[in-house]
Amino acid sequence: MKRRMRIGIAVVCAVPILSPLLFLSGNDYLIQAVTRIFIYGILVLSVEMCWGQTGIFTFGQAAFFGFGGYFAGYMAKNENITDLGVLLLIALVAGVIAGTLIALFLFSGKRVGELYVALVTLAISYVCEKLANSWTFVGSGNGIPGIPFPTIFGKEISSSIALFFIAFGLFAVSMIICILIIDSQLGLAINAVRDDEERAEFFGYNRSLIQIIIFIFSAVLASIAGALFSLSEGFISPSSLGLTLSTSTVLWVVLGGKGTFYGPMIALAILESVDVEMQKALPSLWRILVGLMLLLTMIFLPKGLMSLGEKSRNKREQKKTT
Amino acid sequence: MKLLKVVGISKNFGSLAALKDVSIHVESNEIVGLIGPNGSGKSTLLHTICGRTIATSGSVLLSGKELVNATPMVRAKSGMAIKFQLARIYVEKTVSENIMLSLQSKDSIWSLIRSASSKKFIPKIEELISEFQLSDYANTKAKFLSHGQQQWLEIAMAMASNPSILLLDEPTAGMSPKERADTAKLIKRASDKCGVLIVEHDLDFIKDLCDRITVLHYGSVISSGTPKEIENDPKVKEVYLTRV
Repeated sequence: MKRRMRIGIAVVCAVPILSPLLFLSGNDYLIQAVTRIFIYGILVLSVEMCWGQTGIFTFGQAAFFGFGGYFAGYMAKNENITDLGVLLLIALVAGVIAGTLIALFLFSGKRVGELYVALVTLAISYVCEKLANSWTFVGSGNGIPGIPFPTIFGKEISSSIALFFIAFGLFAVSMIICILIIDSQLGLAINAVRDDEERAEFFGYNRSLIQIIIFIFSAVLASIAGALFSLSEGFISPSSLGLTLSTSTVLWVVLGGKGTFYGPMIALAILESVDVEMQKALPSLWRILVGLMLLLTMIFLPKGLMSLGEKSRNKREQKKTT
Repeated sequence: MKLLKVVGISKNFGSLAALKDVSIHVESNEIVGLIGPNGSGKSTLLHTICGRTIATSGSVLLSGKELVNATPMVRAKSGMAIKFQLARIYVEKTVSENIMLSLQSKDSIWSLIRSASSKKFIPKIEELISEFQLSDYANTKAKFLSHGQQQWLEIAMAMASNPSILLLDEPTAGMSPKERADTAKLIKRASDKCGVLIVEHDLDFIKDLCDRITVLHYGSVISSGTPKEIENDPKVKEVYLTRV
């Protein structure tokens, strides 16, 4: 078993053991905040798979998050479909359709540059946000409020602890699937496409097919995260589709270290944990500080915070080789 | 039937004719050298054969199959493997992983997801890393290898795909004399399994290694024959040998 999987299993085992400490606090707000971290964690995983592992710089991943959120929210509120399994399936289908259309547009032809992919996905996220803001069918600027809680076998899941475990369960499953992919032979192939896609083609890899598959997979992850968000928060708004969330996701990945797998999730957990308190303490300064942190990380640690450990590992390995 | 047959290849970049009606061929188990002064079109020809550049006109046949407009992926699947002038290996991956990448390149996506062939390839990986003198570095990241070892690793990766034709772009560039001698032996051994086409600057290296040599000058073939014939060709002496 590889190191990445061992850490993953440790995380999956540690959360249920440690979570009673959180529940004992009796602070519902705190439980909801941690639930949100797990949901955003799935979104971060989707960007890490796309950008960190395959080199597809998706700058508009919030669009898929929003698709899932809007589809699930609309169905739950207006069509009275509240079964969690059905709603997640709807989000999965929405993610597959949206992901396939965009992936075919981006990757079915000749190789395209990282910047081109970033701009196209950013534009899609921007257009979706504008569209949701002006389309009355999906509530315009108000989004869809009052989304009912999901049900499992007809039983409503309304407690914050139950929603916590659902979010954690889906996060854990998503993480383990991602680790299985990365540690498989396909993982080696997607990393080859990331590191030198032209070289991968000269070995006989179908670069286009690999990029399309991973893009769709990450769109599905983001869409499921969006559905879970709208169901646990009880609302979905245009900002969940747009530039702010897309940029935040990229920020978490850059700060943590793209391609390091756990780095982006650690950055998300730290930033989200302190975000509300810091916004209260430093209302006008906090965003500037986050921007500054990003800038400094990109200058001094272009591979993110996790590369600190990697540097010392590399030094050890180099010493061993020489 | 000739293994690789390049017929009447021309390549224009705007008004510049980089290749003019070039024809060469390589038989199985034969080593053919391609030499010429800088700018003569050697690398352009190699890139046209491997699919990095598409020819303006002409034909590239591998075992009778027309590949002139095929993508690099199709050419690789048809049995073509290349080693670039600057080693293009995956520096963040280990030596074993680099070779695995080449071995598994023809597997289906479903097979890759299931890691269906990972165990099957282990003996082949061990055989190749031993053949290319990399046994001590099997689990070392490729970025920590010396320049010469990186070049060998790329040739090993090319050989891992079991090619019918191996294209080598200056395989000894930047190597020490000992490394060059070792590389020559490795290429000679590779030719037992496939045809080899080498682009090289160093005539001394290539004349001892190749069965035939083709000389390019300003995008045209000016001479072709055995190393001895090439050495004694006055045209070659004039445009190439006297300048080196």
